[in-house]
Order: sequence, then structure tokens, then C-alpha cells
Amino acid sequence: MRRLLPLAVGLLASGSALACGETLGAGAQRIDSAQFQLAYKPTPTPIPVGQHFAIDFVLCPRDGAALPAEVRVDATMPEHKHGMNYRPSVVSRGAGAYRAEGLMFHMPGRWELVFELRGSGAPLRLTQSLQVG
Amino acid sequence: MRLPTLFLLLALLPGAAGAQPLASPLHDDDIPRILAFGPWPPAPVRDPSNRVSGQPAAIAFGATLFHDPRLSHDGSLSCASCHHPARAFSDGLPRAQGLQPGIRNTPGLANVSQQRWFGWDGANDSLWAQSLRPLLDAREMGGSLPQLARTLCSQPDLREGYRKAFGQAPGVDDERVAVDAAKALAAYQETLLTPRTPFDDFRDAVARGDRAAAAAYPAAAQRGLALFLGRGRCHVCHGGPTFSNGEFSDIGMPFFIAKGQVDPGRHGGIQALQRSRYNLLGPFNDDAARSSATGTRHVLLEHRHFGEFKVPGLRNLARTAPYMHDGSLKDLREVLRHYSELDENRLHADGEAILVPLRLSEAETEDLLAFLDSLNEAPAPRQ
Repeated sequence: MRRLLPLAVGLLASGSALACGETLGAGAQRIDSAQFQLAYKPTPTPIPVGQHFAIDFVLCPRDGAALPAEVRVDATMPEHKHGMNYRPSVVSRGAGAYRAEGLMFHMPGRWELVFELRGSGAPLRLTQSLQVG
Repeated sequence: MRLPTLFLLLALLPGAAGAQPLASPLHDDDIPRILAFGPWPPAPVRDPSNRVSGQPAAIAFGATLFHDPRLSHDGSLSCASCHHPARAFSDGLPRAQGLQPGIRNTPGLANVSQQRWFGWDGANDSLWAQSLRPLLDAREMGGSLPQLARTLCSQPDLREGYRKAFGQAPGVDDERVAVDAAKALAAYQETLLTPRTPFDDFRDAVARGDRAAAAAYPAAAQRGLALFLGRGRCHVCHGGPTFSNGEFSDIGMPFFIAKGQVDPGRHGGIQALQRSRYNLLGPFNDDAARSSATGTRHVLLEHRHFGEFKVPGLRNLARTAPYMHDGSLKDLREVLRHYSELDENRLHADGEAILVPLRLSEAETEDLLAFLDSLNEAPAPRQ
């Protein structure tokens, strides 16, 4: 029973987490941190190499955390030591929902997608590694 | 795990290069990368920023204008003077020679409709804006907006061509008439597509799982393709159906023009783009929704763009020598030597970090040349 308890807690947490970004529909990806869960979905999916794409995402605060005043989206290729050739724009759609436009992965390979949440304190970076192409 | 299955089988099929066992390093996990080089030709797509894109009357008018020296300041040069149809719409010279000497190589125009940015520095975001630039550049055709409008209005054949293309006679706004001429030129250039190649036959055979047809692709080209996708990592920039990602890179080419003068490449191109009234955010874009302006709206200017130049497509490459933005490499063997002996110390501090000297053997150079030959419409004479 003691062994099952952590599993049950994990399932509960997982069930709660699945609620974030339900509006994005099937195929949404999720990134967790202590303060937020972020659900996102690129358009088109899968992300094409060398074409502009957009990302719809939803921020779900945990434990009473406030939504950030500003959210930036960026991406880099760590092995190549460069980022995108474009600076995405981010528009809030209210209630923690956002849309980023103007992204482009101009090379195949590993990209690190970064959501930077800016508020009164230090920026919080939520990242996810993506293999493209 | 890389499994050299499909292509080893292909290579061993009867009729494949003497049916000798080939050490083809192509693997099943190369297949998606191979498929990404097609299909070819691409489906026609009209440019929403150009209201006469794809329209036959505009294409015909554009073809006429392309060959008409009356558009230049002194009546001596047409677009075709530098973009020779017989030379894949380039000129064979290291650097362009218009009314004055230029500083960059004349790029071929084949497949130009497939580009996102135009010119070696991408200073224009539409084919029509790029077509207007040489008409007005003092080093090239040296014209002006009033001179262009006057020519189009006063010459009966051009006036009639304009009327057919745009549904009305040229108006009194010189700038709009000149931009319309550029849009007709763009409509014509959109039709300049390279034909299918031996590589396309191979790629399509792979796509439909036709091993017998794929086996007809020469063994040397297969080895060159494997190097292109593998150790060379050429496809990282030279990807997609045109073999270009449409962006810019610093590959260690010199950017000094003369003593004390540098060509800033993409860095200057972005600045020119952003201040141009002919960009897709400006008043001459026929797409009211500006749906085609995503790149222009979001393009980023950073220090690393200094010394970057457009990644050229590789189709019909044999016909567009000499190579690189400054035309300094006379043939493809010199281009491969450049990548083989890359001077890492010369690479810009912010340059592409994955570039390393390839140290190609003579056999590998021959294989890469065989692969590049297969991107031509017909086998090109070996340089």
C-alpha cells in the first residue's frame, strides 16, 4: 500500500495537469514547472523546416501564482550556437491563452523552444527540446 | 540504429552499376531527407502580393519587358543583358557588369519564384520589389521612376502591353506604373522553373518504393548523396525542393570588396528591407491582409548577420558558374575545395558553428560532383 500511494498521488497530479490547455485539442504538448503548467500546440503540426509557423499556448498557474505581465517565445539551436532569424510576436487572448506568430526553424536538427515569463521577479524560462526534420 | 538495407539492396539489383556490391552508405533513415528534396516541379502558387501573378497577359508583357533595353537609362541594357536565358539567366561573369561594375555575382533566375528573400542579401521580400531594384540602381540599368513611367506611357507597344496586363492604360502615378512594370516582370520570372532531373527520378522512385527505377541512379551519385546528407551535413542549409533553406549563412567567404570596403551581406540587406517603401508592409503590396508579410514583420537584425549571404539553390548549378556571392570560385571543384579546406579562423565569430573542414578525398569530391551533376536537367560537362 505504501508503494501504491506515491503512484496514486502521481495519477491525481497527472489528471489535474491534463486539464491545462484542453481547448488546444489533441496533440498539445505540456511543460511543467513549480509555478505553471504550459500547454502548447504548433500550427502546422508537425513543425515544418523552413516555413513560418505559429504556436497557440495556455498558461495554467499553480498554487495561486499570478499570470506574467509579459510572455516571450524564442528558440535556439544549442549545437549550432544560434537562434531563429525571426523574432516571434506574442498576443494574449485572455485567461492565460496566447498565440505566438512568426517562428521559423530554418534548419533541421535539435531546437530548444523557450517560453519566457516576465513579471515582477526574475524571468522564468520554460523550455522544451524538439527534434525537427 | 541506421540500417543500410533498402539502398544496399537497390545497389545490388541487376542492372545497377554493373551489379557490383556497392558500399552505398545510404540508409533507411535517409529516406525522409531524400523525400524532402521534392516533389519537383512544385505546384504553381500565385504571389498574393502581386495582383497579376500567374496571369498570361502579364507573363507575356513581363517577358517583353525583360528583353527590352528601353527600360535602362541609356537604352543599352535589358534585364536579359545580365540574366542571359542561355546561361540559366546568369551572365558567367564573376561580378555583375551593368552600367557600372557591380560588387556581387549575378544570380541565375531559374526557380526564383520559390524564394522567400531576394538578392544575395535578401534586401527584398518579393520578386516584384527585387525586379524594380536593378531598374533603378545606378550601377545596373540606371533608370528612374519618371523615366520608366515615361517609357511605358510613350511607347505604343509597351502601353498596349501594359493595358492588356493590367486591364487599363498606365495612369499618371509614375511610381505605381513603375511598380506595375516590376510586377509584370515578376509574373514572367515566376515561370522560370528548371526541368526535372535524374535526381528527381530517383527521389520519386524512392517515394513510391520502386526499387528497380531507383537502382538506375548512378552509384557515384548515391555515394555523393550519402556524403551530402551524412558527414557533409550539406542538407542542413541546402534542404528542400530547391536545395536551399532560403535563408543566409556565413561560410567563410571573404566580404571585403576593396581596401577599406566591406559587403555587409544580410546585415545590410535587412536594414535595406526595413527602410524600403516597396517591402510587403508597404503600400504596394496587393495583398490587403498582408498575409504574405509574416517574414518581413518578424525578421530579426542581429550582429551575426554581418557577412551572411543567401544559401543558393543547387538545381541546374552547372550552368551558373562562377560561384558564391562574389563569383570568386570558378567551378564546382573549387567550391568543394572551399568546404574541404574551410578556414575556421576566418569564420565569423557568430557564424554557423557546425561548419568544419570536410577534408574530402579525391574520390569523395568526385562522388559529390556526380551527385551535383544529377541535379542538372542533363549531365553537364565535367569541369
